[in-house]
Amino acid sequence: MKTLNNTISVEKLRPLIALFLLCVVLSLLSDKFLTVNNAWNVMRQISVNICISVGMTLIVLTSGIDLSVGSVLALCGAVTAGLLKNGIPIEATNTYVGFTLLGAILAGLVVGGLLGFFNGWVITKFKVPPFVATLAMLTIARGLTMLFTKGFPISGLGKEFAFIGTGWFWGMPIPVWISLIVIIIAFWLTTRTKIGRYIYAIGGNEKAAKLSGINIKKVKITVYVIAGVLAAVGGIMVTSRLDSAQPNAGMSFELDSIAAVVIGGTSLSGGRGAILGTVLGAIIIGVLNNGLVLLNVSPFWQQVVKGFVILLAVIIDKANSKAE
Amino acid sequence: MTLQRLYRILFVLPAFLCLLASCKQKDKKNQPKKIAIIISSLNNPWFVFLGETAAKKAAEYGYESKIFDSQNNTSTESEHFENAIVSGYDAILFNATDADGSVASVNKAKEADIPVFCMDREINAVGVATSQILSDSYSGCVNLGKYFVQQLDKKGKYVEILGIVGDNNTWSRSKGFHSVVDLYPGLKMVAQQSADFDRNKALEVMESILSANPDIDAVFCGNDGMAMGAYQALLAAGKQNKVKVFGFDGADDVVSAIKDGKITATGMQYPALMANTAAQFAHEYFGGRKNFPEKMPVSVEMVTRKNVDNYVAYGQ
Repeated sequence: MKTLNNTISVEKLRPLIALFLLCVVLSLLSDKFLTVNNAWNVMRQISVNICISVGMTLIVLTSGIDLSVGSVLALCGAVTAGLLKNGIPIEATNTYVGFTLLGAILAGLVVGGLLGFFNGWVITKFKVPPFVATLAMLTIARGLTMLFTKGFPISGLGKEFAFIGTGWFWGMPIPVWISLIVIIIAFWLTTRTKIGRYIYAIGGNEKAAKLSGINIKKVKITVYVIAGVLAAVGGIMVTSRLDSAQPNAGMSFELDSIAAVVIGGTSLSGGRGAILGTVLGAIIIGVLNNGLVLLNVSPFWQQVVKGFVILLAVIIDKANSKAE
Repeated sequence: MTLQRLYRILFVLPAFLCLLASCKQKDKKNQPKKIAIIISSLNNPWFVFLGETAAKKAAEYGYESKIFDSQNNTSTESEHFENAIVSGYDAILFNATDADGSVASVNKAKEADIPVFCMDREINAVGVATSQILSDSYSGCVNLGKYFVQQLDKKGKYVEILGIVGDNNTWSRSKGFHSVVDLYPGLKMVAQQSADFDRNKALEVMESILSANPDIDAVFCGNDGMAMGAYQALLAAGKQNKVKVFGFDGADDVVSAIKDGKITATGMQYPALMANTAAQFAHEYFGGRKNFPEKMPVSVEMVTRKNVDNYVAYGQ
């Protein structure tokens, strides 16, 4: 276990250097970059991606992948918004079952957990590759979102709910608090618990892990459930920030999240990587998005630049891991 | 039974049934006509409204109809056309994914003697579609641009938030707007960024733009979803009263936001009018009418606080 901890700390550094360089360049190019307000902007904007990417990291560590996070995010946001606004109508008695704020949020989280459980169940029970199983879920959850919302946004959700996405607490935006809590729990989970070690073991060598008596199914399903719940957390944050659940929310979020994981130095073949690396990856993407807009770079070029940054990060990572 | 034989039956049986079905249809005049409604993308409420209104109108005339979702993908769209032609639809109400790329599909329908009525989005071909009922985005944004100039008193800094940069609606709106606004040297565009017609992206882009340009006077958005996102960012920054927001579409929440003075103006498109006209044209086509206008522009009206009481979402 000692060697494992060592590799983690080395890997943490690489994205940190990249982030530092990026910040130096951007602060030279724009005097607005290094301002307190802009820093809060970036932190608030990346908090959703951090939540999703933390879940994605756990999955990737088991050498899996989750393409369905964006759709699951949309569905959970819509469920929370829908229950909050309209409740559940009971036609027989012509009444509504209303939901409190907490109830609606819990329902959204439960839906996320259930979809994650379904992913994990299909993958472990039927041996469907994670790529395929979650690709199917990507379509299923998006379709369910359309069915639930009938294709129209659910807006006007009230001030209390909007507080989650736009409010401040002790000088820090609520979404940043939420992502911080998620990071701390996930960091503790991966470095201090049995299940954390199992996750690394399964990704490193599934057969060996099985032979040493790890309940692979249980660990994998747990990981997908966590990812589902975290996608729901992201969905609730997005919905609250916009004061509206959009049926097309979270489109291509899985790509940003995989990019954060990869830039953070987690290996897509599993077993190697860390939560803090992913957090740095997400910050790099957030800073890059923000910087390109601050500099008013043409939208055509932005996509090209982003692609090259991802490529560069992975190439550096590859070169370094070979050198070791 | 060998697998091969099973396949053969699986293929032949439906084909045979189709043959029966189509014969039946020609025998019985009172069989309801079938209308295919092919929509560019159902991921946007505006298009959902367009499609559903067309379906409702078709049902009023007593026709069967089905909505196909092209998912913003021209090749998916072309498959829908092939399926619609093969399964014997009598007319197609069409909202194109791409002005040039969709022409081939419409041509296929024409060869199969199926009339195609384009709604909202143009195809760049003459004499292929039976009629095109189009929203005049360009002129709509010219008017919006004039109002923009007047509201800003010909001077100030502004931001433009574009839709999907690969979409021709994005550019017809942007060009219409700039054809007016660029004539005034006092109006300076300090940032032009894309937010993909997406409310969340517009919010994030606007937050970053506000960091770089804290002293802007107005923002012009390529659709109403982005206008709401931009407004949300201004609200969080406490600048909602200083910065004027302009949108385009005439969506539900923007109409009420204009009433509340949160958003300055939007271009009201008439999806219901376009959808109803297309369904009505199909009805008249079945009734024997053959001469339709090649293009029928549906004007885009400007909604401001002064006249907003005359409007509801997507119409008057």
